[in-house]
Order: sequence, then structure tokens, then C-alpha cells
Amino acid sequence: MHLSIGLTTSISANRMKWIYENADNLCLNGLWIGEDIGRPQEIFTSTALLLLNTKNVNIGIGVTSPLIRNITTIARASSTLSEIAPNRFRMGLGIGGIQDLTSLGIPFKRPVNSMERAVEILRTIWVNNVNSISNEELGIHNYTAKYSSKRIPIFFGVRGPKLMTLAASIADGIILSGPRQFVEKSIKLIKEKRNSLNLSSEKFHFVLWVPTILIRKNEDLEIVKKTVAIVALDTPDHILEMSGINKSEIFLIRSEMKAHGIEKVVEKIPDRIIDLLCISGDADEICDKFESYSSLGIQEVVFGPPYGKDARKSMAQVAQTWSKNS
Amino acid sequence: MKFAVSLNSNDLISDAVKKSIELDRLGLDYVWVSDLPSQRYAPAVCAAIAKVTSKIRIGLGLISPFLHTSQQIASSLTTLIESYGSRFDLCIGPGDRDELYRVGVDLKNHKNILQSLLNSREEISTLLQKRGIESRIWLGAQGPKLLKLVSAFDGVLLNYSSIEMIEWSLNIMKEEVIDIPRSIGIFSPSYVYERINPKIQKMLHYTAATVALGTSKTVLKKFLLDEGLEPARIAHKSKSLDESILKLIPQNIIKKFSIFISQDELPNYIQELKRLGVEHVAFSYPQGYSLETIKELSEGLSKL
Repeated sequence: MHLSIGLTTSISANRMKWIYENADNLCLNGLWIGEDIGRPQEIFTSTALLLLNTKNVNIGIGVTSPLIRNITTIARASSTLSEIAPNRFRMGLGIGGIQDLTSLGIPFKRPVNSMERAVEILRTIWVNNVNSISNEELGIHNYTAKYSSKRIPIFFGVRGPKLMTLAASIADGIILSGPRQFVEKSIKLIKEKRNSLNLSSEKFHFVLWVPTILIRKNEDLEIVKKTVAIVALDTPDHILEMSGINKSEIFLIRSEMKAHGIEKVVEKIPDRIIDLLCISGDADEICDKFESYSSLGIQEVVFGPPYGKDARKSMAQVAQTWSKNS
Repeated sequence: MKFAVSLNSNDLISDAVKKSIELDRLGLDYVWVSDLPSQRYAPAVCAAIAKVTSKIRIGLGLISPFLHTSQQIASSLTTLIESYGSRFDLCIGPGDRDELYRVGVDLKNHKNILQSLLNSREEISTLLQKRGIESRIWLGAQGPKLLKLVSAFDGVLLNYSSIEMIEWSLNIMKEEVIDIPRSIGIFSPSYVYERINPKIQKMLHYTAATVALGTSKTVLKKFLLDEGLEPARIAHKSKSLDESILKLIPQNIIKKFSIFISQDELPNYIQELKRLGVEHVAFSYPQGYSLETIKELSEGLSKL
């Protein structure tokens, strides 16, 4: 099992710099950067910085939506990144949040079809810089790329069963996020689908990325509870059901949060919910919790955000503990 | 006068990096990286260049707001500037109609291209200001309609090389624009040579032909180039630019849309540009084709 660090495009330039300057020394497997739509940093340019300033670690986009850019832009941006550091770049795709897509005026229709088409076109463009490509649905006419790539691994960051089934069929891996029971069932679903297709599950890469917080002092628990409140707000109902979580408890958190704001709700979050929706503890505890996912089939775990009260120290401490234990 | 080389993102990144190191070493003021739908992603190429250079300013553009949202363009610039300092400029413009059409962006469907461009410029500026980022925003322009927008920009890069056409553009600005931008520049297919290399010359012809074929009919008519270019325009409707289309384009048109001069002729040409008030010259492809063509330009510039 491998440890990576996660960041998003909401990150400050200074923190991103610290992460890429230290990633190789911290003996990480990789860095994953997710796109927070509308935030200051740009996903592909940030990924270029991570690739340019590291030597050994894998760098993955985890994830961007194929609906918010022209698909040829995603094709050439990812090809450019792969050229910067051959064999270290991983491309992650997810459909995107309904609210984000709606705010951009993008209809949320047929997500399975959109993802399938995106992967098909990306792979066609990446290997084809000789013949022209057309796709009526996307309005592409006689497009000839003046670049090419070796095979770039595609990861899905999805949570619905239909999209997971699609991931099992066409992706190289998946980034899972959610309560343990949900993760377990998702892995089972994907493995079964791959078996039915005669595809080896060993060649499919399972990544776990859940909010993680290093606790040093009791007062750090407040960050944990705030994180849990936000996660509770965002977790789809089908995931709560799959995870055996009492939905009424989550609904209560949501309504309290809407009525009184995050500060008030923090006091009312029960401990058992904390352990379901995030991973927290001291460095040893976090590493142990991560390690426990190995038996489910997870091959790579991603630390953070929000990391802890002092993000840099937290990242370094968890990475060092992981390195020492392994 | 500032001098720039525009790199084609057709180049492998390793080549773009080598050329940029050389441009930095030779003391060129700018390297521009254009973003075309069929080529590498320019902001990532700019990041690679920024990492290995220290003095040279880096221009992201021309980049089309019809392909990227204002948010995406502003964020690319934010990431670059926050990581490598304030040595980035931006140039926006509609972009190559033919290339955009191939990726599903049909400019014919846009009701008001000019207003959209102005909106993008405004949105990008606002986002950058909110983030405390400073960057000059240039307009990449050619036709008379676009030229009327220049007062909203920090600079204009005219896609012309012929003195006559540049002068005409400047006159339009003087007559129709209240505030002329503080920087006026040109970018043009270029080959400043010591000894002519036929291979580079052929590349120049292709690039100049691309610009000519994308030029508005109004401009072509004004300079009596429309009839001469018509056979090539018709042929180009059904296929990409190739040798057969190139042969249909008269040499005087190729000449009008490119800088093709020896090192010894360069000082006179630059002098003429200075007389017109041009203060930024971006030598576009194929001048940046190789380290040799870059050296030829640099030697020419040293004679100024």
C-alpha cells in the first residue's frame, strides 16, 4: 500500500510550493490534485508545476470534469503534462458537482454516456496524430492533433453505481471517497464487474481519498468536527444508505447547519459519525486506519486536506510515520 | 523597442525549453507561446519555460476566450505569476476560425464576437485584480472591427508585417479610438536570415499563407489582394492548407504577410516601425524554429 498527499486548486501558491519541494523527500508515492471549480489556481497549470518540480512522485489530477472544457483541450493539456514527465502523470475524470455544473450553465444529463464518450475520445486523440478525427455529437470536424502521448492512465472519481460499473469497464483505476462500508461495497461491485468482463482486478488501481486530519491537541477536534459537518452536507443519500449510516442523524446535522451555521453544529456531532466520515487521530492512528483499508483492496491512500492545524507539519509527520512503519 | 520570439507549441516541450533558455541568454525581451487547439497546452508550456528562465518576459497567447473561459485564463495566469513572479503578459483574441471550427467552436454562431471579447477582457481583469495579480493584457488584432476595441486593452499586437498595412491599422485607431493603448506591437510570420535556408523559407510561406487566408475580406479588398487570393480561398474551403493551395497564392501576398529580410535589412525595417510608433515586435514561426534561426535573428538585432 502506498501513501500520497492530496491537494486542490483552492490551495495557496505557497503551500503548493512547499508540497512539491518536499514530495520527493517525504518518500510519497504521489500527489493528487483535485479541481475546485472557480478557484484561483488552474488545474492543468498547477499540475504542470507539480510535475516540473518533482522527480520521482506520481502526479495525478483527481479529478476534473470533461463537461467544463472542450474535450480537445483536456486531450492536449493532459498530453502536454504527460510529455513533461513521461510515466508519472495520471488523469482523473469525474462528472462534477451538480451545483457547479448548473452555475456554469452546463446541463447535468446522461453522465454515464458523457464519461464513456470522453474516455473514448481522449484515448483516440492521444494515440492519433496522423489521421483526422471527427465526432458529430461534440462538433469535432477533421481534428488532427499535432502532439501524441503514450497511454495515460485514466482514473475515475465517481460515486454512483452506474458510473462505478463504467469505471470497472474502461478506467485504469478509481479514486474512492466515503465511509468504509461504502468503500468496501464499491470495491466489491467493481471487482465483480471486472470478473464478468474477464478483466483482471489486479490491473485496476484502487485509491482511497477521504478527508484526513492529524490531531495533536484536544482543540484540534474542532477542525475534525467542522470537516465532518461539511462532508455530511455533501454526502449523497445513496452513500449514506450503502454505508448503513442512520440518515436521520445526518439530516439533523444538515438542518442545524443551515439554520445556525457551522460553529453551532460542531457541538452536536456525535463521535461515531466522525469515524464514519473522516480519518483522524495522531500520526500512528491515521497510518493504522489507512493500513486497515489494504484488506479491502485499496492500494493507495491519500492524506488530506484539511491535514490538521499546521498543514505542513501534519503532512510531514504522517509521511514520516508511514515511511517508518513500512 | 521590445523584441520577442513567438514559439509554436508544435515544439516538443524539451525543445521549447532549450530555445527559451537561449532567448533568455541572448537578451530577447519576450517569448510568446500561442495556444492553438491542435497543439500543446500553452499555459503548461509557459510553466516549463518559466522554470528554466529568469529575465525574459513570457507571453501567454494568443489564447482564445472562445475556447477557454475567462475564469480558466485568469487562473492559469494566477498560477504562473504566483509561482514565478510578475513576468507574464497575456494576449487574447478570437483565434484561428478554422482551427476553432474543427474543435466544435463555430465563431459564426457567436452573435457579438467583439462584445464577448470585451466581456472576457473585463472578467479576466476583475479576477486578476481580486487576487492581487498584475499582468498586461494585449489584444491580438487584425481586422478594422477588432481594432476599434484596442482602448480597452493595455496593448495591441497587430497581425501585420507590411509597413503599409501597419500604417493603415494605426490610422484606423487614430481616427476611431479615443484612447490608443500605451503599447503597440506587431506579430508576424518571420524569417530574418543570414543565408536563406529553403526549408525555413517554405515554412514561412505556409505560415504567411495561413495568416493571409484568415484575413478579413475588407482588409484584402483594401489592399487589392482579394482577387489574387480567391482561388486559394475557394480551394481552402474543402481542405487544409497544403502544397497545392500554397501554389495558388501569389508571391506578393506571401510577402505582404511575412517578415522575410536579411540581417542587414533588419535595421531599416525596425527604423520604419519605430517611425510608426511600433514598440514591440514579435517574430513568429518559423523564426523560432531552431536554435540556428534564433541565432540568426539575434545577430540581426545586434546590428541595430
